[in-house]
Parts: sequence; structure tokens; C-alpha cells
Amino acid sequence: MSTDDQIIFIVDDDARIREALTDLLASHGLRTVAFGSARDYIAADKPDIPACLVLDVELPDINGLDLQGQIAASHHPPIVFITGHGDIPSSVRAIKRGAVDFLTKPFSDTDLMTAIGTAIAQDRENRAARAELAGLQTRYLDLTPREREVLPLVVSGLLNKQAAAELGISEVMLQVHRRNVTQKMGADSFADLVRVAERLGIQVTHSRRAGGPRK
Amino acid sequence: MTGLWTQRPKFIHLGLFVAAYVLGCAFAQILAFMPGTGISIWLPSGLFIATLLFASRSTWAWWLLAGCFAELFANTLWFRSPLPAAFLIYLGNALEALIGAWLIRRVLGDPVRLDTLQQMLIFVALGAGVAPIMAATIGAATVDGFDILSQSFWTAWPLFWIGDATGVLIVAPLALAVLQNWGDRTQLSATQWMEICILGLIFGGVAALSLNHYLSFTYIVVPPLLWAAVRFEFKGAAIALMFLVLITAAFTMSSGGEFPGVSESPKERHILLQLFLAISALSAMIVAAISRQHRLGLLTLRKSMDTLRHREWELTQLVDVVPSHLWRLTPDGEPIFFNRRMADFLGMGVADIDRPNATRLDALIEAIHPVDAPGFRTALRHSLATGEPFALRYRLRRADGVYHWMSSRADPLRGEDGRIVQWYGLCHDIDDQVHAEEALRERERGLRELLDALPINILSFAPTRKMTYASKRYIDKVGAPLVHIEDFDALARDVAHPEDFPRMFAVASHGFATGQPFVNRFRRRDKQGIYRWIEARTQPQRDASGTILQWHIVSIDIEDEMHAQQALRAAQDSLARQSQAASLAELSASIAHEVNQPLAAVIANSHACHRWLTADPPNIERANKTVDRIIRDANSAADVVSRIRALFKQSVDTRVNGAIEDIVAEAHNLIAEEAARHRVLLDVEVDRGLPAIFMDAVQIKQVLVNLIRNGMEAMAGLAEDKRLSVRVSRIDNTVQIDIRDHGTGIEAPDRIFEPFFTTKEHGMGMGLAICRSIVESHGGRLWAEKNEPKGAVLAFTLPIESKVLS
Repeated sequence: MSTDDQIIFIVDDDARIREALTDLLASHGLRTVAFGSARDYIAADKPDIPACLVLDVELPDINGLDLQGQIAASHHPPIVFITGHGDIPSSVRAIKRGAVDFLTKPFSDTDLMTAIGTAIAQDRENRAARAELAGLQTRYLDLTPREREVLPLVVSGLLNKQAAAELGISEVMLQVHRRNVTQKMGADSFADLVRVAERLGIQVTHSRRAGGPRK
Repeated sequence: MTGLWTQRPKFIHLGLFVAAYVLGCAFAQILAFMPGTGISIWLPSGLFIATLLFASRSTWAWWLLAGCFAELFANTLWFRSPLPAAFLIYLGNALEALIGAWLIRRVLGDPVRLDTLQQMLIFVALGAGVAPIMAATIGAATVDGFDILSQSFWTAWPLFWIGDATGVLIVAPLALAVLQNWGDRTQLSATQWMEICILGLIFGGVAALSLNHYLSFTYIVVPPLLWAAVRFEFKGAAIALMFLVLITAAFTMSSGGEFPGVSESPKERHILLQLFLAISALSAMIVAAISRQHRLGLLTLRKSMDTLRHREWELTQLVDVVPSHLWRLTPDGEPIFFNRRMADFLGMGVADIDRPNATRLDALIEAIHPVDAPGFRTALRHSLATGEPFALRYRLRRADGVYHWMSSRADPLRGEDGRIVQWYGLCHDIDDQVHAEEALRERERGLRELLDALPINILSFAPTRKMTYASKRYIDKVGAPLVHIEDFDALARDVAHPEDFPRMFAVASHGFATGQPFVNRFRRRDKQGIYRWIEARTQPQRDASGTILQWHIVSIDIEDEMHAQQALRAAQDSLARQSQAASLAELSASIAHEVNQPLAAVIANSHACHRWLTADPPNIERANKTVDRIIRDANSAADVVSRIRALFKQSVDTRVNGAIEDIVAEAHNLIAEEAARHRVLLDVEVDRGLPAIFMDAVQIKQVLVNLIRNGMEAMAGLAEDKRLSVRVSRIDNTVQIDIRDHGTGIEAPDRIFEPFFTTKEHGMGMGLAICRSIVESHGGRLWAEKNEPKGAVLAFTLPIESKVLS
């Protein structure tokens, strides 16, 4: 692992814990940034690289679980919870909301490093998926309006004739549009086009007024 | 003199008296037919005696004066005696009247009545017999001495005496009758008027014949005279005598009649005449007296008979009207009398119960209720045989067939020889009373049943603490104390649990002594020897004047209630323990957090250290730094653990009643040396007379020491005026302890009691939390305030428990 392309955020009100974790992760060659409160973490300028958030449940200003709920809507690094006295309802709640792990203090070196590793990996995946989707969306925006109409009809499995009738154009014109769409979206095959449409969240519909991808 | 004047008789009376006296003198002059004597029937003597008898003694002087005047006047007119002789003769007459009147009054009493023969005879003997002796003696001596008409003493004396006596006999009764009956207007019947007329005719006829010399027997007047005396008593006799005297006078004047002619000697004739008149008058008087006595006797008899008859009527009324039955039995028990009420009740009189072949008693017993009849018969027979009084209650059939309860008594009446003459019985209707008694008994029974049915025990004691009543339930449940224990003290000692007895007995004794109601809860032994909790309420019953008549004790079994209370108490204890456990859980969570925090740091640091050492090349510098942190954090954890141990060391609950001032004094002693070292002046002020408080002395002492130490530490930065005051005072039902410092004060008064909150460099923040938990576990409160002008007040309260003895 390179210390440059990833970062660990630590939020804990106990300075001793912050020191110890920073030191431990440093010994593992990981770059860390520690915060004493949730407010400090939110306000901080965070680099756009794969990351992980080690979050104490008992914080002076806000409960860690509540913070998890607040940042759920945005793209945030996977969370590893640490707590002084973990109880089962809290841990279940945290995991259901997507926490990577829920560690009770004192925790072992291995558990923490595994969780952090998992979290970093997960963040990398998330980031790759987000990057791919962004490319597809760019391609989609290059399509002509007619082509954006053609795409949902063909990926829903309609015959060319049916789709042409649906749009009130000739079968030949439809085939031209279909070829253009496949080409513009960078799909190798019809099956690939279907997968791309799915990634973009295009509604499979028979309706003439089927919309484009949801924003 | 004035007395004499004021008590004089009326002048008209005196005038009449003088006139009558002069007339009497004139009459005497007329009858003095015997030449040369001048002595005859002296009517004024009768008038004089009668007047004095009638008049009151204080007026006698007046009458004597009037008499003197009248006689001297008559002497001047007719007698022509020398004045001294006339006066002497009057003196004799006056003495005669005085002595006669005085004697008669003395013997017969005042006023003089001539109602009986005895009175009449005394009157005649004293008035006509004794009194004239005086006049005769003095008169005869005077005549002799002055040689009037040359009469000797001895010839004059009889004439004088008989003349005066006759005068008394004829005039005195008449005058008395007239004077005494002056205002009396006795109505005479027609027959009596007729009789008077016939008598008048007879007298008139005799008089007329005699005056015509046709009939020369004066004696002929005597029978009608007696007739008049018999029929009209004194009045008749007196009037008839007057007639006789007048007739005699007429004969004498005309020298006719038997007397002038009987004897040649005028003296003899004179004496004869006087004797005749005297005897006639005496006879008439005696007959009149007898007649009067007889009539009065008849009158009295009639009155007595009337009275008797009235009494009898009243008695009969009483017997009949008295609201009881009266009856009489023969010594054999045969009824012989029922009063009217009894006859009305039975519907038959004593005569109606005669039956053939049965005695009256049997007939009467038929009217008695068949159930009571044999008893009645036996009791009556017993009484008749022994003579003991008879008394019985039985039902008697009324005329309408309804039986009524009767209470009957009979006592024997014994004759002088001791034998029973009759039985007198009294019997009254007690039906209403018996029914009322029955109703009362029924009510009492109902009440008793109610008392027995109620799930309570009732005992009553006299003011002497002797038992007077025990309800059936009590006897059934506790035993039969009436048999062997009647005294409250002994009973209480017997049935009360030995542990409860002293207190229960003290309460009872106090109640009995003061007359106040009291309540006792104690264990009482029942019949089976099992002790059960009861509540006994005791109340005095007083009469109108407030004197205690009885003590009533109502006791209720509260065994179940006591068990319920114990269960409740156990539940409360358990609840308290649970809430304590809850706070302990909270506490332990905090503790865990607090211990885990350094532990987590220690472990993380250990791993880091390990990695620095195993790195290639080993980073010794970082490893050393990390090890320092490990030591620091591990110590921190150990500190937490040791403080927690201190916290739980005092958890043993040993609470007793103690004096708060003692605890404050001990805490003061503990801290005094430390205070002196920090130059803190401790100012302790405890109110007097604070009640004992139920508490754990060690815990409260630690709270005090802790708070005082906190206050001293808060003032550690001050250069001077390090004063800390401890004040203990009572506020309502609590004792409040204030610890006041002048230190830095408190920034967060709400948070300082939270576990592990601390403002101190080396504090763990457990002290105040523990203090608060201790105070709250004692039911008190611990809080912080700002002190003016600076510093803080830590105050806590402890409740004064008002424990009820039960």
C-alpha cells in the first residue's frame, strides 16, 4: 500500500485514543488525519483519494451513529465504528447503514487493520464504479434526441419493426439509429448495450414517452 | 280613759238598754201588789245578765253605768227610796249581774250557747241560783238598814232572791235568744206558722177569758207553754213565758186569779206567785233545752249519715274507677267481689259466674289461658293453704275472647285472732308492657346476633377493669376468659404476645388513666395457641355527667393486613434495589467506558510499539514514545479501578438513628488537621434540638468530608480569607447541611454530579456522583448553588423520619 494514494480519518474525543491510533496506523505506513469532534471532521478539507473513517460512537457534540445518518446521502468513505461499550442494537443499526465493521474497545490490531483494509478496498471499488458511470453518462449526453428515444425501446427487447411502429418511423431508419447508438455508447454488442442501459438506470419501457436516464 | 271611750257600745244600744231596764222596773212596780214590800219579780236582773253575757267584757263599765242611771231614774219615778238605799240596791243588782255573767262565761265558755240540757242547767244554777244571792243579801240588808217599809232582813231576803231568780229565768233566755239571733232570719214553714197562730189563739183566748174573770185558773197556760217550748224551743218558751207573766200581772193588778185569793197572807201569796212563775219558767226552759238538744242531735246524725254516704260513694267510685282489677276471695278461694272494671273486662260480674256443679273459682279459672291455668291454680292453692301473698303473671281472657297478660297480687286480711278473713286481690293489665318487653328482648337478641355475626370481637370492662361482657365470637375464638380471667390486666398478660405486652399494656394503662380512647396493635393468642395480629380500639362510654360507665374494646384481626404490609414493604425494598441496580448499570457503563478508553489506547499503542520494534530498521525512537504512552494510559486505567473499588467499599447498608451533630463533629475532627495545613478556617454551626436521623453514619460522614475537602480545594488558589462554613439547620421535615466556600465557584452546576465529570487536574469525577447517590439513597437531595459574592454552596438534605410505632 502506498501512503500517498489513500488516507484514514480518525474521529474520537479522547486524545489518548487519537494518539494511539495515529501511531498504530503510522507504524502500518498509513496516512491519518485525526479529529476531536464530528464538527471538525465535516468542516475539514479532505483529499479526493480512497479513504476510510474510523469513528467513535460516543462523541461530545453528536453521536457517531447520527453522523453516519447525516452523511449517508453524500459520497463518503466507508466507516469503521469504534466504541467504549458497544451494544447489539447500535451495532446492527450501524452495519445496516453500511458500516464496514463495529469494533468494541479495546480492539485488536488485526481486527482494526482488516476492517480498514476492507474499507479502503471498498472505497476504491466505489470510486471505480462512480468513474465508469460518469464516462457512460458523458456518452449518453452525446446521443441525439431521436437516438435517446430509440435506446430504451431496443433494450426492452422489442423487434425493430415494433420499435419503428412505436416511434412512427421506418424499420430501416430504426436500424440506422440503433447502429449509431451502439457505436456512440461504446457497446461491443447488443448485450453490452443492454448492460450499459442498465448501469445508466434507463427504464425498460414500451411507452412512446419513455424518458432518458434518471439524473 | 280613751280606751274605755273608744270601746264604748253604740249609744242607741245603750239607750235601748236603759229603756228596757226602766220598763222592767215599771213591771216590777206593777207586780209589787203586796202592800209595803216594794219587792216583786225583778225582770231587769235577767236583762242585765243577758246583756253582759252578750256584750264584750271591755264594754261592761258602760252597761253598768247605763244600768245605774236607769235604776236611779226608776227609783225617782216609782220606788222613792232614799238615794243611798237605792244606790246600794243597784249595787247589789249590778254585782249579781257581774258575778252571774262572769261565772256562766267561765263555765260555759265564750260565746254562751244554750243548746244542751247541761248548758241550760248550768245557766239556771249559776244565773238564777247563785247570782241573785248577792242582790238579795245586799238588797235585804239595805231595806233592813234604812228601815224601808219596816221590813226585816229575813223577810225581805227570800222575796228578793226569788224575784231576781224569776226575772233571770224569764228574761235572760229570751234576751239572749233575741240578741244572738237578731240578724238571723230563719224561714218558718207553713205548718210552723199555723202552729204559732194556734198557740197565739190559745194564749189570746186564755188571756181574754181570764181578764173577763170567766176563767180564773192561770195554770191553764202551762200546757201551751210547754207546747211552745217543745216546738219552738227558747224563742217559743220565752215568748210564751212573757205571755204568762203579762197574764199573771193582769190578774194581780185586778186582784183576780188564784194567787190573790189562795192565801190570806199577802206574803205567802207573793211567794206562791213568784214560785209559780219561776217553776213554770224553769220547766219551759228545760223542755226547750231538751227539745233543742234532741233536734241538734238529729241534725248531727243526719249530717253524719250524709257524710258517710258520700264517703261510701267516693270509695265505690274509687274501687270502680281505679285502672286495675280488684277482687275479693273468701278464705276458701271463692270470689265474692269483682270491681266494675274487672266485671267489664271479663264480661261478667261475680254473681254471673255461678255454675251448677262448679265453684266460682273454677269458673274464673276457665277465663285464664289454658297454659297458665294450672300454674294459677297451684299458686292460689299454695297461698290459700299457707297464707303467703299470692303473686302471678298470667293471661286472662277478655270478654271479646282476646287474652291479655295480667299481673296479679293478693294479700290476706286477718282478723284479730290471726285467722284469715278475706283475700284482697289486685290485678292489672300488663299486656302492653309484656309485648314491649318481648319486643325489647327480640331487639336485644337481634342486636346480640348482629354483634356475633360481625367479624369483630367485642369486650366491655367496668371502670374497675373487670370484664362485664365478651361477645360470642370472642369466646369462640380466643377461649372463654370469663371463666378464669375477668380482669383486664391479667387477661392482657395472658393473651398478648410477651414481646408486645409491655407496650400494649402501657398504652392501655395510659388510656384507662386519662379516659382517652386508645388503639393497640399486637399479637394475640387464640384458642389454638396461635398468635395473630389484631388491632384493638378502645373507647369509653360516658353518662350525661361525663363519668365513665364502661370501656368497650373492639378488636379486628389484621393478620392478613400485616402480611400484606410486609409483602408491600418487601416489594418496596425490591423496587428500591432494582432502581439502585439501574443506576449501578448506568454507573458500570460509565465505568466500562472509562476503563476501556485507556485500555483501548494501551492496546493500540502496544501494537504500534510492536510494529516500530519489528520494523526494518526498528524505529526505537517511535517505540519509546509509544511505550511512554502505554505506561501513562495503563496507570490511568488502574486509577479508575482503584477509585471504583473505593466507591463500592461503602455499599454495606448499616443505617441507624443517629444525631447529625455528632456526625458533623466527627467529620470536623477528621478534616481539622488537613484544614489547618491548608490554612482554611472551618466555621461549623449546628442548630440545637435537631431530631435523630435514620442514616448510615459512615456514608454521611464521607459525604461531609468529601464536600468539605472539595470546598477547601476550590479555595486552594486564594491567598487569604480561606473560610469554609458548615451550617446544619432544620427546614420543615428535613435537616439541611450547607457547605459554603469562597473559592472559584462552579461553572456547570448541573454537570458536576455526573460521574467522571471533573474540573480538577487529577480528579476522576466520581466524588460528587457518589455523594449524590449516597444522599439520594437516604431520601435526601444534593445540589450546588452559587455563593455570593463568590464561591459555591454545596447543600444536601436528609429527611427526618417520623416513624410510627405500631
